[in-house]
Amino acid sequence: MNESLINPFNITHPTAVQASLFALGSFARFDPSGRFVGVGRFDGVATIWDLDTKSAVRWLDGHVKAVTSLDWSRHSRYVLTSSKDWNVIVWDLASICDPPQRHATIRCDAPVSSASFHPRNSRIVLTLLNTGEVYLIDLRKAPHRGRTELFEPEGDEDEGQGQSSRRYAMTVARFDPTGKFVFVGTSGGYILVFNSRSKTMIARHRISGGSGSLKGLDFAKNGRRLVTNSSDRTLRQFIVPRYLSSGEFLEQELEPTHRFNDPINKTAWHAVSYSPDGEWLAGGAADAAMHKIYIWDISNDGQFASTLDGGREPLAHLHWHPSKSSIASTTNQGNVLIWHSPNAERWGAFAGGFEEVDENVEYEEREDEFDIEDEAEILRRKKEAEQEEVDIDTIEGESQIHEPDEVNGSVIGGDEDTRWADEDADDDVVTWKMRIVMDDDI
Amino acid sequence: MEAAPQELVLEPAPEPAPEPAPETKDPPFPAPQQKPFFKQKYILSGHTKSVASLKFSPDGSNLASCGADKLIKLWDTYTGEILHTLEGHEEGISDIAWSFNGEFLASASDDKTIRIWDLALGTEVKCMQGHTSFVFCVNYNPNSNLLVSGGFDETVRVWDVAGGKSLKVLPAHSDPVTSVDFNHDGTLIVSCAMDGLIRIWDTDSGQCLKTLVDDDNPICSNVKFSPNSRFVLVSTQDSTIRLWNYHTSRCVKTYVGHTNRTYCIFACLSNTKEKYIVSGSEDHKVYVWNLQTCQVMQALVGHRDTTLAIATHPTQDIIASAGLEKDLTIRLWFDESSA
Repeated sequence: MNESLINPFNITHPTAVQASLFALGSFARFDPSGRFVGVGRFDGVATIWDLDTKSAVRWLDGHVKAVTSLDWSRHSRYVLTSSKDWNVIVWDLASICDPPQRHATIRCDAPVSSASFHPRNSRIVLTLLNTGEVYLIDLRKAPHRGRTELFEPEGDEDEGQGQSSRRYAMTVARFDPTGKFVFVGTSGGYILVFNSRSKTMIARHRISGGSGSLKGLDFAKNGRRLVTNSSDRTLRQFIVPRYLSSGEFLEQELEPTHRFNDPINKTAWHAVSYSPDGEWLAGGAADAAMHKIYIWDISNDGQFASTLDGGREPLAHLHWHPSKSSIASTTNQGNVLIWHSPNAERWGAFAGGFEEVDENVEYEEREDEFDIEDEAEILRRKKEAEQEEVDIDTIEGESQIHEPDEVNGSVIGGDEDTRWADEDADDDVVTWKMRIVMDDDI
Repeated sequence: MEAAPQELVLEPAPEPAPEPAPETKDPPFPAPQQKPFFKQKYILSGHTKSVASLKFSPDGSNLASCGADKLIKLWDTYTGEILHTLEGHEEGISDIAWSFNGEFLASASDDKTIRIWDLALGTEVKCMQGHTSFVFCVNYNPNSNLLVSGGFDETVRVWDVAGGKSLKVLPAHSDPVTSVDFNHDGTLIVSCAMDGLIRIWDTDSGQCLKTLVDDDNPICSNVKFSPNSRFVLVSTQDSTIRLWNYHTSRCVKTYVGHTNRTYCIFACLSNTKEKYIVSGSEDHKVYVWNLQTCQVMQALVGHRDTTLAIATHPTQDIIASAGLEKDLTIRLWFDESSA
């Protein structure tokens, strides 16, 4: 809402640190509304920070070992945390008591490396164990309920490699933005694609030229592009292929459209994140002495745009805001830096009817500018101008805020996968708002 | 919202124009066959000094009132019964605001504090200090994690509600700030003051984004955003209410007919099926305009003094109004013609 008054041309990447949250966290993730960040800590606590007040508003204390990942349901009501203590906990921020009670606990057979909600239904959870296995856990009522391992089927001749077709450990697992597919990266540098509903593998992609073990995956919001982070210290962007709904298996080598790396220091990357419009890509450098974020301009053929310097505490994680030009980057000391792109103060805004110009303009007086006019005439004209109806209800741009109808080329709502995901829906509604809990120190 | 309590005493009190028939239920104008048909339903008495502000709860079931008697009172909208009285402020209270779920109430007082009341417990849970003079106006943002306030120290302040801390102090105006409001998504703040300026601020950065000023610079009494935040409704002490498009800095509607020269009288938007502008007046009536035609549709007669505090119900055709010292009553007006 404020954007139209500030400056419509400042769609850019962040440039400066706005605030530093003393959060003791190992990573921080924005919620889909952009109002909060969820921070996971080494001591097993997850904290929810309000970005308006820059203070912690909820403590989620349930794990006994480090929190490894955190995810938000689509309207931010549910929070999922995974931990090295073999558990995944789902928290309900709408619960009336404080601290919030756990909504569900999922017990796994090994330390959990990461977990995430299905983008359309928080009752479907994807978990990656540090043993290299991926499970899709459905918490809905029967017949959905269950725990299914997503695995690469054995048996098919692996391009003549015969016996050596051993299964690689799975190192990263993510839903795509539609939730129809699960993308899994392996230690062998493969990307495996599963259908979330049928839980079968529908595609296997080798990364052209090889890449080493995959460490991270991020999608542009529209789901058409995908960026990978791998152990060869290179970020690669791919165009996501169209998968057939018929379920035919696709074996395809993927050629990256861009490769991003640091040609001088050859640093590895701790994290990678797209901007909400997909026009920028941020990479968090695994530099041992500096907090550095590299920004590439995707709309400009992936050109390197700038480096953000966040001081001496090395970077551990970063995440781009869901709608604004803002990044949350976590230092290895546990502080969360919130980056923004500041606007220059326009002093002209303090004077009514005053407009700043960038360059001097020769003023040309209008023919009738200083004519003395009949007051009655002015009044009449003013009245006339006020005849027009005003619309005080319609909110501009409201519809485009919510989920786009078309993601990845297919219309949502019509097909089987979407219907499957929407069955037995959670009660995470748009209108939900988090209660204010007063600090006790009065 | 009681205008400048100190200065107020010096003002010659407006002559109480003898009403020909003060208790007439059906005012003679305009044409009675046209909507609205607001009729007085309840008279709520309890306050012992002027009532400064009235606000309906977000669900409309309760009405909160506050005044110079340092009290906050809660009333049942549909029965007119008193539910609670909250006391704690050391001086008169100028304004109150509800949090989005009706759980808390914030009050702004001449004792320079803003207090937050937990309505389930019926107690004060926060007392926020920082203003160096009377706090005159207060409002919550839509998520109710922030408060904005304005006062006689000429600043606009943004507060962290949960922590009770001041987040920003905006040196906003050069005269007492009379009214502040957040827009529908909380990204903008509008403030107006006795210096006659209406300023729009960016909540996040605290930067001034726009200033609106009328040619004659009249003292601004009250300002609020329209439901879609495309306009601001401003009442000024030249007996005029204007609807501004702040993007183009143009006044798109002007509402006249009432009298407002001395007090910071509230102007409200009734946004039910029909859309009205409602305001108090120093001629003791309550005026109802048609939003689009700017015509006075009804003038509600009953109060015996200036009607300062006005509130419109969020979902139904109900108006609450309150009078100054010579009246002290809160009246609830219902339009039940469509029911």
